[in-house]
Amino acid sequence: MSDRQAGAGQATLVIDGAEVAFEPGESLFEVSARVGKRLPSLCYDERLEAFGACRLCVVEVEGIRNPVASCTTLAADGMVVTTSSAEVEAWRKTLVEMVASENREVEVDPLRGHASQELSRLVARYDAVPGRFAGEPSGKSREDDGNPFLLRDYDLCISCYRCVRVCAEQQGDHAIGIANRGFETRITTEFDGELRDSACVFCGQCVQTCPTGALADRKAMRGVDVPGEIEKTRTICPYCGVGCSVDLMTKGDKLVGVQPAMDGPANKGALCVKGQFAFDFVQHEDRLAHPMVRNDDGELVRASWDEALDRAAKGFRGVVERHGRHAVYGVASGRAPHEAAYLMQKWIRTGFGTNFIDNCSRA
Amino acid sequence: MSNPLSDMELPNVMFCIGTNMTECHPVAATRLKKAKAKGAKLIVADPRRIRLAEHADLYLPLRVGSDVALLLAMAHVIVREGLVDGEFVATRTRDYEAFRDHVAEFTPEWASAICQVPAKDIALAARWFGEAAPGAIYYTLGITEHISGVDNVQSLSNLALMTGNLGKVGGGINPMRGQNNIQGAGDCGAIPSGFPGFQACDDPANVAKFSKAYGREIDCEKGITKVTALDLAGDKIHAMLIDGENTVVSDPDKGHCEKALRSLEHLVLIDIFETDTAKFADVVLPATAWAETDGVVTNTERRPQRLRAAVPAPGEARPDWWILAELAKRLEMPGFDYSGPDEIFNELCSLSPIYAGLDWDLVGTGAYQWPVPEKGHPGTPRLHETEFPNGRGIFKKILYRDPAEVVDDEYPIWLTTGRRLQTYHTNTQTGRSEGIDYFVPHEVLEVHPEDLTAWGLADGQLAFLESRRGGIEIRVEAHPRSPRGTVFSSFSFAATPINDLTGSGYDPVTQTAELKVCPVKIRPVAENEPVPSS
Amino acid sequence: MSRLDDNDLLERFRKLPAPLLPLLHAFHERDGLVSEEALEALSEGLHIPRAELYGTLTFYHHLSRIPGGQAAPRVCTGPICRYKGGPEILEALRKDGATPMPCAGRCDEPVPVLFGNEVRVGSSVPELLSRPSPLPVPNPGAVEECVFAEIREPDRASLVGYERTGGYEALRRCTAGLRPSELIDLVAESGLAGRGGAGFPTARKWSAVAEATGGPKTIVANADEGEPGCFKDRVLMDHDPHALIEGMCLAAHATGASRGFIYLRYEYPETLAILEKALDEARAAGHLGDRIHGSGFSFEIHLRRGAGAYICGEETSLLNSLEGKHPFPRNRPPFPVTHGYEGTPTAVNNVETLCSVAPIVRKGVEWYQSLGLAENAGTKLISLSGDIQRPGNYEVPLGLPLQTLLADWAGGPPEGRRIQAVTMAGLSGGFLAGADLDVDLDEPGIRSKGSFLGAGGIMVFDDSRDMVQVAHGAMEFFAEESCGKCFPCRIGTRRLAERLAQSHGPRDLATWQQEARELSVVMRATSACGLGQAAPLVVESLMKYFPEELEQSLVSGWSGGNDER
Ligand SMILES: Cc1cc2nc3c(=O)[nH]c(=O)nc-3n(C[C@H](O)[C@H](O)[C@H](O)COP(=O)(O)O)c2cc1C
Ligand code: SF4
Ligand code: SF4
Ligand code: FES
Repeated sequence: MSDRQAGAGQATLVIDGAEVAFEPGESLFEVSARVGKRLPSLCYDERLEAFGACRLCVVEVEGIRNPVASCTTLAADGMVVTTSSAEVEAWRKTLVEMVASENREVEVDPLRGHASQELSRLVARYDAVPGRFAGEPSGKSREDDGNPFLLRDYDLCISCYRCVRVCAEQQGDHAIGIANRGFETRITTEFDGELRDSACVFCGQCVQTCPTGALADRKAMRGVDVPGEIEKTRTICPYCGVGCSVDLMTKGDKLVGVQPAMDGPANKGALCVKGQFAFDFVQHEDRLAHPMVRNDDGELVRASWDEALDRAAKGFRGVVERHGRHAVYGVASGRAPHEAAYLMQKWIRTGFGTNFIDNCSRA
Repeated sequence: MSNPLSDMELPNVMFCIGTNMTECHPVAATRLKKAKAKGAKLIVADPRRIRLAEHADLYLPLRVGSDVALLLAMAHVIVREGLVDGEFVATRTRDYEAFRDHVAEFTPEWASAICQVPAKDIALAARWFGEAAPGAIYYTLGITEHISGVDNVQSLSNLALMTGNLGKVGGGINPMRGQNNIQGAGDCGAIPSGFPGFQACDDPANVAKFSKAYGREIDCEKGITKVTALDLAGDKIHAMLIDGENTVVSDPDKGHCEKALRSLEHLVLIDIFETDTAKFADVVLPATAWAETDGVVTNTERRPQRLRAAVPAPGEARPDWWILAELAKRLEMPGFDYSGPDEIFNELCSLSPIYAGLDWDLVGTGAYQWPVPEKGHPGTPRLHETEFPNGRGIFKKILYRDPAEVVDDEYPIWLTTGRRLQTYHTNTQTGRSEGIDYFVPHEVLEVHPEDLTAWGLADGQLAFLESRRGGIEIRVEAHPRSPRGTVFSSFSFAATPINDLTGSGYDPVTQTAELKVCPVKIRPVAENEPVPSS
Repeated sequence: MSRLDDNDLLERFRKLPAPLLPLLHAFHERDGLVSEEALEALSEGLHIPRAELYGTLTFYHHLSRIPGGQAAPRVCTGPICRYKGGPEILEALRKDGATPMPCAGRCDEPVPVLFGNEVRVGSSVPELLSRPSPLPVPNPGAVEECVFAEIREPDRASLVGYERTGGYEALRRCTAGLRPSELIDLVAESGLAGRGGAGFPTARKWSAVAEATGGPKTIVANADEGEPGCFKDRVLMDHDPHALIEGMCLAAHATGASRGFIYLRYEYPETLAILEKALDEARAAGHLGDRIHGSGFSFEIHLRRGAGAYICGEETSLLNSLEGKHPFPRNRPPFPVTHGYEGTPTAVNNVETLCSVAPIVRKGVEWYQSLGLAENAGTKLISLSGDIQRPGNYEVPLGLPLQTLLADWAGGPPEGRRIQAVTMAGLSGGFLAGADLDVDLDEPGIRSKGSFLGAGGIMVFDDSRDMVQVAHGAMEFFAEESCGKCFPCRIGTRRLAERLAQSHGPRDLATWQQEARELSVVMRATSACGLGQAAPLVVESLMKYFPEELEQSLVSGWSGGNDER
């Protein structure tokens, strides 16, 4: 993050007393974040068009009567901006208390989704009292939707519409929309049905952008009671060739879930249903846990590594002795990493001096 | 892909052919949808009315296996209407005149009779693509899994060359790779024609380089493909080492494939599950899976990225590299003492010009796209920006050929196969992930509703589907995605081995099987009628 | 007429500008509801994703999704009607599927009930009758008028009558050579400011559109008149429809616009028919369409009917509604003058504003300026209703003392009653009461009391009314009409309504007031549009003028009463 110097001729504005240069098209929110002042927000997702709903990011601009939403206001030359006067901070606290008053609960398990802690973090940041503006709750959970992946716990919904916008703008599927209006607003599919009967492709992007955990990763939530802290490990999705970056969520030795990497070069936070939810084959009981060799009765039986490797080596040696080195063939995997494919070809080329090697791309 | 994934948001015309992108590469497809939202035009050519077709501004429902005819006619129109990028053709390509004369006879009307797309739509597609600035081509196995797979790809290359759409931001020819490291397997030299980095293995200089590096004299000629190897099993090929592939379910002509594996004297598998293929193995070695493995994979846009282990592997499972190294040592092969995957990857980089500027640490953030010819090089997001590997782009004169088998009175229906969104490949992974069966509990054959009636079938009924190679029982489902006379199934369920039927032919160059075309016949099965075994 | 099938309907509207609303109405009327099948056909035909379209459909109050819903009666339970028989009529008609609706713009003749495309008014079910909206009475102050000057002329609503009384003369001056810039200068000199609520100088808006690049430019007549207690635009359109058409043509001439829309609220079906006829007449006479009066100036007007949403009167919400999008207000900047309908430069003007232009052109700037009192230029229509002897529309000179209007012009409160409070700007300006009733009717005067004149709706409440209950009804209206986009308004209106109803929140006055103030301040400062910014005025003015009543109500508990609308 470079604190750009105000060069000659470049447009600048003053933000909390400091002169800052900006690029055309940058919003006040972005400029502010760039100089290290991340303004509070709930409806903001940097991948989406700024929406201006939560109003937490309002700032004061000299010469403009009402405060403006910094996310939807573009920086302009000569602007003088105050981001966090005492008055604005007080409004923000009230706003956070208003939002918190809508929901069944504010503290939710982080396994619910990538952004699920945003509201609770703001409550903590502003030392807000969630029960302060008590009243009717807003959203209504959809317990009838039995799909295995997306929990629709709208009791926690704060109508930021990030889910609707991510589905439309990022995913391009427009599977969910905004029904009714005002406090009665609900997130729905066409005709208010189950997700399965809609255009939803279960990519889970709505889950990952939801700032309250109202939309939650049902599969990851199976791990809520697994003891231990959540750890994240960055890796690449095991499915198609797009190569989406993901964070593996583990608790101890247990893989409990997957979250997309918002900065993944190929996916920028997007995933599909497979990458998002089809991870538990890894710790499935069917996994091969020990080597197997075929016995004299023609059955595959458990063996030690030594036995199995010796048996494997012996077989190749025998075939070469009987039929020559051109009788051995190697097939590398399109799913194992480079080190496997590289060594497979090296194994063939070094071991037999042939180019009798291929991979499974032809199937 | 010649261009980066991020370029997919930039074209103003996108031509998608033989790619069911929203299901097979869903995240890449989101970028096309974004381009569309910004006003780009989308042309989709596919026999089935796939979801991508619903997003299309122009949908070309071509008959399976007729791509070359369509593409020839598009080239014809681009020439006829003066939409050729003369400057690009003059400075960057070769053999254009011959190609121009060649396409003169292939009018849209001629193509229409073959591919069954209205001539005016073919002309419109050509016009849009010819006028695009830039225009991009995307394809997948719907182009390559044909006996004319290479012809199809070359026809697409002709289109891109004549319109000057190579080496341009937002343009290019972009095959989408189907598996997470299928690109990487090629990069690493796991192909019969090339050493790591696609260095030809019939070039003496390369052979000398690798013979020296590996301490073993290597043949100076190309190897044989897997398909040929299976054909020669029991005859010339007697032992195989297969890593992570469920060959008998994924490969065409299951009967032939099983026979081949059975006739081997020695078969060793490395895998994470005991797959159907394990039935034929002498030894099965348990590998660590994704999430348990450190390594590198390269995606479809040539971007090497790091896999990282997060959980321990079950029991005694070991990384593939460890297994291969141990097996090598037991066969007294030199040069297999590795302390870890980083050392292996760095050795690969030292031998592969396209990775020369990379190492284990540098690929950590996935910031590079190969070629990265030397340290400090920023990588190459777009290929062919200034020149082609052989200097100039070469136009090829392609002729249309019928598929290996065409429909006739006995087998009057086209079967085409592919993947579905929720199930992946042979379902060894997705099938063991909870919840996937909520969407796809079992295999179905997608049939046009009117065909169901015409063939005396009821929606959801069991049917017997048969080709010249075999037959299976499968449940039919009325589906408006299927055109009349063409049916579809995936190959994800071992219980419904659709590849019993496929395998009518292979591309003569790549030996890729014609999995996308297979004439079949169908008849209803009473629920308790015994099914003839194949 | 034989039943048109989905495709016929789609074909009829698809190629027209702003096709979604007319298509929704066509299906609604054909089928008596907007069915799932209709929605699917619309989604496909207009390329709007189903979920989005479904959401948009549910946004509108009047589009029914149950069989027979279109024809089912809607009964006004607005701030006036709730005291004039609305709730009783609603109960009586429940058996016919009746539902409540917010103020339907007939507060001068309560209670309006909408039966399909017919409004009947009356104070009980047997009295319900279809009647034209009342003409304004002759000016009680005998002062010269601007927009009402000719409205009482016989036949004024017809082309013949309109032309006979000076109609289309102003337009003729334009087509005969008055240049756009000259027209804008004229309007600038007159001092005409927007009559829709915000009071923005009309000439400045027009010159911004005229100077903006891109096109085709668009004029929108804002005839949504959703503010409770406002019914002035209706009377203009019902009795002087050509004045609106001519005003729009003048706006188009000034700005270089070639297409126009009238966005008319759903609750005015008779007005819809009147406008349709007037547009046909104007087209036939060459006042509208291609090459108007044989000049180089062409302009077409499309009539679009809203579907029941107060927020659609907010200009950017209105534009989204026209475009077939979810009718949330847009973020500004950019403003409609540069990025309006489908991104083109657009002037959105209130009906009254537009109707003022032709008289100004015809009678001159000095004349117009002289109509106002003291410093003020021109006149303002006031819709007066509630506990007052002679409710109705009055054209007042700006600067007229409020008490003069209430007592002298409109006859004061009912016998034996005292005026307790009036609202300003419909409901948006909150209440004025006590000494603050001694105020002049002009923006500076009313703003000095912490309120604003806005669109000019004034509702009168006498001393028999429970002001906490009135305030609650008002806040309930804002809560139900809040679009739900921005947090302070969506949550704040609901929380304030709950606190006024005492279903939630503190019971002691000090804490109550502390919370209400805090909510109000945040809503006013941070809401994204005028609805959320103005809504707290009701509570703030209640606290200012009626602290004892409030405390009393908190002590004795909610006084109950009908709070459904
Ligand atoms: C919630 C809300 C409702 C509004 N409703 C109306 C309306 O019904 N009619 C109207 O003319 N203006 C209405 N406005 C004001 C418009 O946004 C806009 O300012 C006006 O149409 C401009 O016309 P004018 O300049 O001629 O007044 C409303 C504003 C808000 C915030
Ligand atoms: S479900 Fe979550 S993301 Fe969607 S609107 Fe509600 S709070 Fe926002
Ligand atoms: S202030 Fe109210 S009506 Fe206006 S945008 Fe916000 S929520 Fe919608
Ligand atoms: S018409 Fe009923 S309150 Fe206005």
